[in-house]
Amino acid sequence: MHIPDAFIPMGQALVYWVIALVFIALALRWARRSMGEEKIPLVAVLAAGIFAIQALNIPIPWGTSGHMVGAALAAIVLGSPYAGVFVLTLVLLVQGVIFGDGGITVMGANIVNMGVVGGFVGYYGYTGIKGVIGNAYAAAFIAGWASLFVSAILCAVELAIAGTFPLSLGLTFMGTYHAVIGLIEGGITAVALYLIASARPDILEHPRGVSA
Amino acid sequence: METKQFVIIGVVIALVIAVAAPFLASGDPDGLESAFFSIYEAKPFMGSELDEDAAGTAEEQVIAATGNDFSYEALMPDYSIPGLDKTGEVFAVVIGTLLMLVLVFAVAKISARPDN
Repeated sequence: MHIPDAFIPMGQALVYWVIALVFIALALRWARRSMGEEKIPLVAVLAAGIFAIQALNIPIPWGTSGHMVGAALAAIVLGSPYAGVFVLTLVLLVQGVIFGDGGITVMGANIVNMGVVGGFVGYYGYTGIKGVIGNAYAAAFIAGWASLFVSAILCAVELAIAGTFPLSLGLTFMGTYHAVIGLIEGGITAVALYLIASARPDILEHPRGVSA
Repeated sequence: METKQFVIIGVVIALVIAVAAPFLASGDPDGLESAFFSIYEAKPFMGSELDEDAAGTAEEQVIAATGNDFSYEALMPDYSIPGLDKTGEVFAVVIGTLLMLVLVFAVAKISARPDN
């Protein structure tokens, strides 16, 4: 779901950069306040794993493919939507600058879509759904799915504002593809949460309901 | 499990995925590209045949429409190393994974208050 440079006019791209920078500042404040010495290597490993698994595009029907984003996973494991923003900002920076995946002028939009929306929908979706249904892994699956789907819908709206996609077609195509790709996001989020909870239940910020 | 052990196992899993990714990853366009090609009629919505000429024209059309013609040379474009085939792709994803590890560690270290 990485938007390339050409898809958004420069002026609008700048607006998304401003929004992104506000959330990046809040994410750095989260890191300063909440990230202890003990957690730093774990965040780094999580980010490396998210980068690697993002490189693995899984085929879905209709001649397209999808990969996980990982903001929901980071937010759930580290107990804050800002953890998703923190990790995804750095992942998207490396992907854009070093690998040409996602543009540079539009990186703010990509950070908003995948980092901010992914982190917030992932975190609050998880805590909210877990509160209702009680099962942490089912909640992680649904929150992971929703984080990707809502990111894609917002992306379609941004591209409609940009004049790149007509709104109805953009919503239909992006929505359909990402409703399926979201299953990959949800599945990996739930499995990774299970593995991390089994190995290190203590690092989860909200261990209640997560049983190893 | 101790932190050191957790980190080592985590890095090994990430590297295994990184090495396997170039062999397993689908070459089909991702959800956004696919939607783009379909909307610009270079690819059917529910089909996989991509018309390369129409795809190229679509890219020119969108640059003309948005006026954003910014471009730059990435070091390892599309997760590959220019001149190297699959080996280059493996190295690109492995380098990226290790770079993430170091970068996130460094930024986290700088951001976090030492007394946390």
